[in-house]
Amino acid sequence: MAVQNWENDLHVDSTASQHAAFRSDLQQQVRAAPSWFRGRQGRRLREMLLAYSFLAPAFLIIGLFGLFPLAFAAYESTLRGLNKIVGSYDGLGNYVKAVDNLIYILTFWIAIGLAYFAVTTIARAVREHRQENTNAMRWVLPAIVTATGAALFARFVFVLLPEMLLIPSKLRGQNNTQEAFRGLVVETWWLPKVQIALWVAIILLAGGAAWAMRVNRSVARDSRDPIYFVPFFSAGISLISGGALIWLTWNEINAAYAEALEEGVGLELWSQIVTISAGFLLLLLAWRLWESAGHRTSNTGMAVRLVSAVALMAGAWVLIAELPRVVSAGDEDWWNGLMATVFYVMGTVPIQLGLALILAALLFQKIRGQTLFRVLYFLPYVAPFVGTAAVFRIIFSNRPTAPLNSMLDLFGADPLLWLGEPSGIIEMITGGRIDLGPILSGPSLALVAIMIYGIWTYVGFDTVIFLAGLGAIPNELYEVADIDGAGGWAQFRHVTLPLLSPTIYFLSLYAVIGTFKAFNHIFVLRQAAALGTTDTASIVIFQAFKRDTRYGYASALAILLLLIIMVITLVNNRIASRRVFYG
Amino acid sequence: MNTKRMWMLAALMVGVLVLAGCPAPAAQAPAAMEEEAPAEEAMDSGPCAPAADGPLAGIDPRGQTIVWWHQHSGSREEKLAVIVEDYNANNECGIVLDAQNQGGYNDIRDKVNASTASGEQPASLIVGYQNDQAFYQLNEVLADFDKFIDDPNWGLSAEERDDYFASFIEQGVHPVFDGQRLGFPPNRSMEVLYYNLTWLEELGFDGPPATPAEFEEMACAAAEANGDGTGGYILRDDASATASWTFALGGDVLNEDNTGYVYNGQATIDAMTMLKRMLDNGCAYFFTEGYPNPEFAARRASFTQGSSSGLPFYANDIVTIAEEQGRDMDEWGVTAIPHTTENPVQNIYGADVMITAGQPEQELAAWLFIKWFTSPEVQARWVEASNYFPTRAGTEAHLSGYVEENPQYGEALALLGHGAYEPQLISYQAVRDAAETAFNEIMQGADIQATLDALTETANELQEELMGEVQ
Amino acid sequence: MASGAVGVSRVRTRLADPAVRRVAITQAIIYFILIVGAAVSILPFLYTVSVSLMNLTEATGGRALPTTPQWNNYVEAWHDAQFSLYFMNSVKITLISVGGALVFCALAAYAFAQMEFPGKTFLFTLLLSTLMLPEAITWVPNFITVSWLGRISPVPWLNNWPSLTIPFMASAFGIFLLRQFFQQIPQELWDSAQIDGSGHLRYLIKVVLPLSSAAVMTLVLFGFVGAWNALAWPILVTTTPDWRPISYGLLSFLDEAGALLHLQMAGAIITMLPIVVLYFFTQRHFIEGIATTGLKG
Repeated sequence: MAVQNWENDLHVDSTASQHAAFRSDLQQQVRAAPSWFRGRQGRRLREMLLAYSFLAPAFLIIGLFGLFPLAFAAYESTLRGLNKIVGSYDGLGNYVKAVDNLIYILTFWIAIGLAYFAVTTIARAVREHRQENTNAMRWVLPAIVTATGAALFARFVFVLLPEMLLIPSKLRGQNNTQEAFRGLVVETWWLPKVQIALWVAIILLAGGAAWAMRVNRSVARDSRDPIYFVPFFSAGISLISGGALIWLTWNEINAAYAEALEEGVGLELWSQIVTISAGFLLLLLAWRLWESAGHRTSNTGMAVRLVSAVALMAGAWVLIAELPRVVSAGDEDWWNGLMATVFYVMGTVPIQLGLALILAALLFQKIRGQTLFRVLYFLPYVAPFVGTAAVFRIIFSNRPTAPLNSMLDLFGADPLLWLGEPSGIIEMITGGRIDLGPILSGPSLALVAIMIYGIWTYVGFDTVIFLAGLGAIPNELYEVADIDGAGGWAQFRHVTLPLLSPTIYFLSLYAVIGTFKAFNHIFVLRQAAALGTTDTASIVIFQAFKRDTRYGYASALAILLLLIIMVITLVNNRIASRRVFYG
Repeated sequence: MNTKRMWMLAALMVGVLVLAGCPAPAAQAPAAMEEEAPAEEAMDSGPCAPAADGPLAGIDPRGQTIVWWHQHSGSREEKLAVIVEDYNANNECGIVLDAQNQGGYNDIRDKVNASTASGEQPASLIVGYQNDQAFYQLNEVLADFDKFIDDPNWGLSAEERDDYFASFIEQGVHPVFDGQRLGFPPNRSMEVLYYNLTWLEELGFDGPPATPAEFEEMACAAAEANGDGTGGYILRDDASATASWTFALGGDVLNEDNTGYVYNGQATIDAMTMLKRMLDNGCAYFFTEGYPNPEFAARRASFTQGSSSGLPFYANDIVTIAEEQGRDMDEWGVTAIPHTTENPVQNIYGADVMITAGQPEQELAAWLFIKWFTSPEVQARWVEASNYFPTRAGTEAHLSGYVEENPQYGEALALLGHGAYEPQLISYQAVRDAAETAFNEIMQGADIQATLDALTETANELQEELMGEVQ
Repeated sequence: MASGAVGVSRVRTRLADPAVRRVAITQAIIYFILIVGAAVSILPFLYTVSVSLMNLTEATGGRALPTTPQWNNYVEAWHDAQFSLYFMNSVKITLISVGGALVFCALAAYAFAQMEFPGKTFLFTLLLSTLMLPEAITWVPNFITVSWLGRISPVPWLNNWPSLTIPFMASAFGIFLLRQFFQQIPQELWDSAQIDGSGHLRYLIKVVLPLSSAAVMTLVLFGFVGAWNALAWPILVTTTPDWRPISYGLLSFLDEAGALLHLQMAGAIITMLPIVVLYFFTQRHFIEGIATTGLKG
């Protein structure tokens, strides 16, 4: 095929963008375009604008209903007040309530991470700049200006948001008409501080963008130099946000010290930060050493590295053992909720995905009753959970004559409390003879019952998506494999799995995110008799938000949960990026 | 294939556009805001004409449309609709009431809070519990009833005022908010004990239990008769049940100055001790699969405990199950929670209606409806439709026929005089959950005194924590 | 290239092994697993059906099967839950939101999968992060948004179709799902499409969407299920029956019939029936994708 020849020509280029740009060259020979859009750089610009216009409708909706809640939660999390949307500013107070001093360590390390990201991005650009003699440096200033503009735009959002959210309280009572509302919106919009914040941001953004355009134009039209705008821009953004975070943390810590001084209590924030951070640094170092030990050829070198890695780990452990003391004043419900969440995720995601993959692979074979099976497996997901929850309440009832307990009876076992059983399953299996502590005793039997309900519901969902993924694998590949004489398992291993990897990646990410904030299935089956062992993080957040209307505190918890999910997603992405194969 | 699919897609899109283009139903603005009060017409003097003087002078309630967010569903909703229709057709002020079901209490609460956050005007009349009132008033969402009740033109006469059970009407008064009266009771329910009289008689008892000792004996006898773990009393872990038992044994869950909780009083300890003993002896059991009424109707429980508002459901289930099993219907009844106090102290609860702050005309029209709705004749109709308890003593005069037909209701009605109330503190919703957990801990074998001490501490911490966020 | 029918049969025979015996054993194992799995997934559901046909005594007596099926339960549930009142609303809401989701998600997914633009990774991460906020937190800000949009736009949003459909017209789930499938489409197709003088939009409609029909159908199906079963949000944004969906009917009916397990189950089954029928008749399309369309060249 022709493509292969092109690819040979393109051996100097490696990035996908150049590849795409080159392809559009062909088309370009036929068509003329305005000067901005001419040449290689112009085509990039055109594709960029088209892509943005494709994204625009979806991002408008997601911006309103997905990103606005994010900004709202971030803003609310810094406020306190019962049933108050615009409460009083409390800095990191809500976070401190939830995880105690750990939050200072977290913000500190997030800031470090952002700085690290910025530095590596810049370093990579500079390295390329030196090696390949590209034109990286001329992008620095426009990118920094635009990044500052973007950061100021974020600031504008957080200047405007509180003012807008105050409108409802001004409307309350008898002047609540549409005209009054519109009038207040207009008035708020034209507030000097809002306008100033807006225009400063816009001027910097537009200035930076225009500058970048100029630089772009000054690059020879058909040069293949990459555009270094994005790396410098994102480096700028992360430096600015990291700085803001540090500034906030610094102020908060100082305020905490001032308060402690007033109350005459000792505070050891700094020493805690240093201790815990050092612990994690040692751990990181140990991991690095351990990894590098694998590459060593000499045995002694390896042994030395392994030994020192273990030593470092031991040291790290000593330091990290401080952690419980650091978080001791946090919200116990929250920690228990997180633990339950982790149990829930670990207990459901692998089983659910594994089962679904097996079922989908089998359902894809030539079998009788394929249609019927597919419908049957899908039913649990479709059924309204008010109905299925009632059935599972019966199945998992504590009644000795309930379905599961009758089965236990057949095997001569005592009836169990199921949804009303707060003891951990490992503790129950070991007969409770050893005190295992809260983590080792495992999820409570009640939570396990709920997990089974969750798995039961979502296997059908996952199966349908796996089936779609299997459908997207071209038949030719199987035909080729058949000719090569590959057996069923070999075909599955070497054709199906790699080609299904985008779907597997999608589902695993989606399932992890979904189960971390799973709510409905847990909420409908939770019983007071489980003594809170089934309350996952999302339940704790729900109670704080809805029952107690502590909007600020609930938002802070939600942001913490989001950070956890985010970290896990990033880790998942790193692993997946090596393994996912897009045909 | 390709084109076919394209056509399907196109057809779908067209369908979507057509649907989207359908004229949107005229938005029913929750309040007819555009309606202006007619200009100062001093000589206006028909029925419902604005008062010439007094605090509400010049406010004209005529022709207002009032929306009422309530939680009544099914047959209660249908019967309410009939009463409301009657009001709309016959009230001399030309007020139109639009009663709308909004799901359950929690849904209404979510809706009011979301409306408050967004500046949307909530309905003029909303249903909710007393601690909801406190939450709402943190944002000054509600109107003070006193300005209507005390108004010489539109308010209640001293006689009418005294006709309301004082304790019911005082529940809506909030000292935290300058003693404003934020809620008004349209009806009440109470925590009662349902008992199967026929069965008790078969077991050789001659009536429902009055004291805890009798209660325990009867439940144990019934459990023994069934012999499979059922038959006794169905334990109820709800905080209202805990409060009821505490009241019945002469205690209280609120401290003396009504600012905190006491869950570790002797009465609560005694109640828990007894219930735990009954569970251990098989005289009580947990039923977690659904509502207890069918269990009761099928003779798997001799006693259940719950809100008196469940009466019609119990009545239904008893009839249905007896029919389906082809046996005579058991005679059953409701009685006071077995008590050691001289008078049976009942846990009385129920949601209030509230008027949301808005146009004065709207507020006044909403009040006029409430006033009508709680007048004895109308309340009697509502009580018969819903099985709730009236909040005015005068209503009973209109209920004699109904009480005769529904002896269980009559039994409960007779208990109305001895009321006690659950806390209305802002943290009570959260504390209820904690109390429920503590009840289960005790039933699972935790030390009673220690658990109740811990519960008291937790509850007071919760109160302190939430009050700490009130500014 | 193979025609449709041959393509399908090739898929189905791909596990075929020369040794017939081995095939038979494999088949037996497959059936065994499938049947056990089906039993587990269907038993709780069958119990729902069974209870929905019982009378009250049987439903609460822990029985497995009704003595005589009470078909009347379905009639009663249909009337009591006022399903006829809400049925059309659900159909309208579902069609509008699924139709919108299809268009908007496909466009955005295509941009992420096949186009180059600055900020791609950032925007995609941002997209995923919208999935990570617990729903309890999103209700109030989203209510604020629909309420405000309704007050500044000519069409009211609350109690009307926009608040029930527009928020669901673009989802990170849909964009992510479609992107995964679009990304698997071979580059050669785009190259040859360009030689034919086709632009991105035409390529998306003519080539990418048909090739990804399995994913598109999946998105439609889940959009349908989501819109059909949505409950909390519709209750929050509607105060009158005009636009309330069928799930509201089910819920208010449950409040009333709380203890009447048999009616509750009948109501639940009625609500899910349309989706099951839809899936039954469309499930064929979920795997047809490439098999029927084939690659050009």
